[in-house]
Amino acid sequence: MAQRRSSRRRNDEGVRFPTLLFIVCIFVSCILIYLDRPESRPQALTGLRAGFNDLATPVLDLSVRPFRGFANIGPWWKRQFELAEENRALRMQAAEMRAWRDAALSLQERNARYREALNLQADAAEDRISAWTVADRSNAFVRSRLIDAGYDDGVRPGYPAVNVYGLVGRTVEVGRSSTRVLLLTDINSRVAVMADRSNARALLVGDNTEFPRLEYLGAEPDLQEGDRIVTSGDDNVMPRGVPVGQAVRDRDGRWRVALFSRTAPIDLIWIWPFEPVQAPEADPVPEDLFQEGAN
Amino acid sequence: MRPSVERGNGGADLVMFIVTMLIALILHALPSRLGSGPDLAPAFPLIALFIWSVRQPWFISPPVLLLVGVAQDLLAGAPMGVWALSFLVAFSVLRLRETDGAGEVGPLALRFTLTACAAFGVAWGAGSFAIGAPVAPGPLITEAVLTILLFPIFAWLFARRKERSTFS
Repeated sequence: MAQRRSSRRRNDEGVRFPTLLFIVCIFVSCILIYLDRPESRPQALTGLRAGFNDLATPVLDLSVRPFRGFANIGPWWKRQFELAEENRALRMQAAEMRAWRDAALSLQERNARYREALNLQADAAEDRISAWTVADRSNAFVRSRLIDAGYDDGVRPGYPAVNVYGLVGRTVEVGRSSTRVLLLTDINSRVAVMADRSNARALLVGDNTEFPRLEYLGAEPDLQEGDRIVTSGDDNVMPRGVPVGQAVRDRDGRWRVALFSRTAPIDLIWIWPFEPVQAPEADPVPEDLFQEGAN
Repeated sequence: MRPSVERGNGGADLVMFIVTMLIALILHALPSRLGSGPDLAPAFPLIALFIWSVRQPWFISPPVLLLVGVAQDLLAGAPMGVWALSFLVAFSVLRLRETDGAGEVGPLALRFTLTACAAFGVAWGAGSFAIGAPVAPGPLITEAVLTILLFPIFAWLFARRKERSTFS
């Protein structure tokens, strides 16, 4: 009875915060904001975020499934006729492709021999890790996606993420079963790129808009509107030659990139287990090996 | 309209509060770009918090706002504390009473508009500080407008539910 009276009194007063508790919570929020800045985030908070993502991913994965279904329903009845036609055409193409497949396999084998002879590193496309996007809308502060593959699947921080159209971003927070991918459009994203046609180098800088900027192009860059932009590999973070987008000019005449990966919603993506080349001091050769070589 | 507390149904309301907050957080985190529509989503947790601040104000305590805010930040990948701070400030500035939501959607929507403006304003400032550069206000304004436009629907549903439960 007394509790009910108390409740009613509090209810009539509306939202009332105990001053000390309110100040403590404001203080905690401010501390969190200060500590959790992307450029100086402590390892403990990165671990906490990854752990939280691991917990949330199964729930989000379950919740997102109906939406995936909706995206595919469309005008279903109309698609059936188109699919039947497409199916017929594909059957014919498949027959032709068998011959091409044999040729491709033969060339692949020859290519592998050449790579071996030239001591080139293979891209190891077959090692790519497939993952579904389970959460994250782009918001004003961060452009990222949460995916349902993590450390247990072989994902490590810094791996490039691609979809069927091109580069999406790179992994930043890796949990046991989930990973956050920082998109190329994020304000903290920096990727070394080049124009496919002229090899003109630049740095692709995200600014939380749909079209990241091209910076450090030089005074008179050999760049044309529509030039295909690919990763240059100069930053030793991304492999060379991954398609990124097309060069476009904005209203102010600055160079930006229309990303290939934005051609369709970012849904199914692949994580590319790319290991950057180690600096000599990070992977030193033991002295005795040099002596053996000299002998 | 009689205050909802007289129904003596606090336990069920608490469960409903937790469930609606979880649903709001999940809905907010889902990627709207999976479909072919625009990349927009209203701030469902803010709407849910506001409606509950009218229905059962004592649920909306500082630790609850902190917890919901941090959960929203973690799910969205934003710096932690941004939305927690904005909820705390917005709900402390614009305190609500039970009578504020007495079945009239108009005044409630006006009050919500002010709360949303305060929340998004603080979030913009805190987010800009965390990122280290002023955040482009466009997406935040779009999100705020969408949230404000969507609120009357939830407020109307809430008012209807409240009337039904009062007379039953």
